[in-house]
Amino acid sequence: MKKLFVFMLIVLLCKISSAEVNVVTTTTVIYDIVKEIGKDKIKADYICRGDQDPHFLEILPSYMMKLRKADIVFKIGLDLEKWLPQLIDGSRNSSLVLVDLSINIEKKDVPTGKIDASRGDIHPSGNPHYWLDPENVKIMASEICNTLSDFDPANAEYYKKNREQYIIKLDQKISDWMKVMQPLKGKDLIFFHSSWTYFTSRFGINTAGYVEPKPGIQPTPSHNAEIINIIKKKKIKMIVMENYYSANAPSQIADITGATVVKVPVAVYGIDGINSYIELMDYIINRLIQNM
Amino acid sequence: MRNFIFLLLLFFYPAVTVSQSNVNPDISLIGSFNLSSVYNKNSENNGKLLFHDPALEMIVEGYLNPYSKAAGIISYEDGNFEVEELYAHVVRGLPLDAQIKAGKFLVGFGKLNTTHPHTWPFISRPLFHQIYFGEEGFNDIGINLSFILPTGDIFTTFDAGIFKGDALAGSAQEEDTELLRGNSPVFTCRLGSFFSINDFNNIEAGVSASYGTYATLKYLFIQYGDLFEAFSLKNESLKYLYTGIDFKYKYKPDSYTALTIQGEAILNSRQVYSIVNEDELVLHKKNIHTFGAFIYLDYLFKKIFSIGARYDFTNGVIGAEPSELSLANDDQNNTQALSGWFGFYPVEETLAIRLGLEQMFFNYYGGDTSTETKAFLQLIFSLGPHKAHPF
Repeated sequence: MKKLFVFMLIVLLCKISSAEVNVVTTTTVIYDIVKEIGKDKIKADYICRGDQDPHFLEILPSYMMKLRKADIVFKIGLDLEKWLPQLIDGSRNSSLVLVDLSINIEKKDVPTGKIDASRGDIHPSGNPHYWLDPENVKIMASEICNTLSDFDPANAEYYKKNREQYIIKLDQKISDWMKVMQPLKGKDLIFFHSSWTYFTSRFGINTAGYVEPKPGIQPTPSHNAEIINIIKKKKIKMIVMENYYSANAPSQIADITGATVVKVPVAVYGIDGINSYIELMDYIINRLIQNM
Repeated sequence: MRNFIFLLLLFFYPAVTVSQSNVNPDISLIGSFNLSSVYNKNSENNGKLLFHDPALEMIVEGYLNPYSKAAGIISYEDGNFEVEELYAHVVRGLPLDAQIKAGKFLVGFGKLNTTHPHTWPFISRPLFHQIYFGEEGFNDIGINLSFILPTGDIFTTFDAGIFKGDALAGSAQEEDTELLRGNSPVFTCRLGSFFSINDFNNIEAGVSASYGTYATLKYLFIQYGDLFEAFSLKNESLKYLYTGIDFKYKYKPDSYTALTIQGEAILNSRQVYSIVNEDELVLHKKNIHTFGAFIYLDYLFKKIFSIGARYDFTNGVIGAEPSELSLANDDQNNTQALSGWFGFYPVEETLAIRLGLEQMFFNYYGGDTSTETKAFLQLIFSLGPHKAHPF
């Protein structure tokens, strides 16, 4: 027993003496924000790649290995990462701090009435794709800063300074993006999945319909026909979709209607050359403007 | 020992103090409907379309406290309700990051045995499972300890467990054989390593072993030709040793496509009784070594379709009446099978429709052979929370 306590003490001392905070994030967007705030004081890694659908992830032991070494794991929450509890259990890391970044986000699409699978893959606490509104990224950055400061008080000022610098940079970009997106304000667009609620709300775009008949449900011929009618009636020019979904159904609809399928990443590293959240938003906005 | 008990009390303490809870566990229901047809001239069901009783699994699971989980799985099959699994699982907080699982559960011999059949891409249980583990797989009452070994970026686990051993004697119960398992636990262990080749290619390999007494006999009745002889054995124990290897490779470039290749093999070494002198009917204890293996390939495409094939080999005759205690004691005959399937998964894991075909080849001692063809149609639904599937 004595040996066990000595061993645990050594492990604890090693952790305390370690300069870096080990952070794992569920998505690459959180990873980018964490790096902006933690910079060289943290060691960060992520689980879901930028070109992967974060709703469905296979339980790989390699993800458990990442969490095993982590001090903190940040998640989007709102039931996006249903796979995370299994990974945390598998990691056997009993001191891991789990932080849900959705806590202070103003949620959209919170379902009312009876919630069951007949409504598709809905999220009972609200739509989890809030990072596509850059204003929400500022809230995420604050949450990350507070967590890192609590965990590593010696560097709290450093994290605060980095957060402030990041928010200044983000505010400047938000101002630019709002100007660039002005021509799309009030326009109707078709989206593939309901990932775009926060994005459309921020930039004043109308969602005329989704290619998925219900969230998470594969397109069907009858629903495609409805979407074709909407596109023709409203003269919609674009079908916007996440790059991890198959473009089969949107392409068929586009062939019939003459609309353009705009396939974009919705996470950092979603395609080559998108290495930060700001680059991601620049890319999405440029693609939309180019195809309007 | 006192320290161990103290640690156990420490970890179960929160479960006692936090006994009032308003959090419900996850409850899910899995239903399965099966149609089959057998083509075998010797079968009374030759060519008939067989509607099997629907089978169900009701799963209740959740956290007991921050350290432990528990699950109960009640199954209904062939008109009987059964506790398929019922266990508590300490998942974190133990020294050396160990995990303890205690109760009745699927034993970690090989990789496939620990997963439920509805998660497999194919319909029928691999042949060697049926011979060496029984119709329901290696499912037993016991306790298992699991450790993560320090092997760098390769995720390596070592599991060791002690089990009652009834599962291994399950196919051995003959009415005229008094079979006492009594206090004869069996020991099982597995060393498994997972390695990510890159973001799209992953592989896991493992070695397993199981050792113990599969039967303790007072009497043994053996039919030899036209003779039927009873032997008194005075609680003789018969030992077995299973050694196994397993691997799984998966290539998954995106969420719409996946190629899986998985295989397992088992070497069965066990003591059996046989008659060595036909004239004097002398019973002799000897060691036999038999073998079983399967390998399959499954290709998922467009997210909703899967197609695959499996090859099986095992000593023993599938579907035969057990002689000399168990089908696993048969070192004379063997069964091979080639099977194929087509799966349709319209909405994620909530619904699966599978069509399967299995051709079995029976090879008997002396050179006789026979064949049997089976066709299957299966519908599985899954109601309730769906956990992500492990690799």
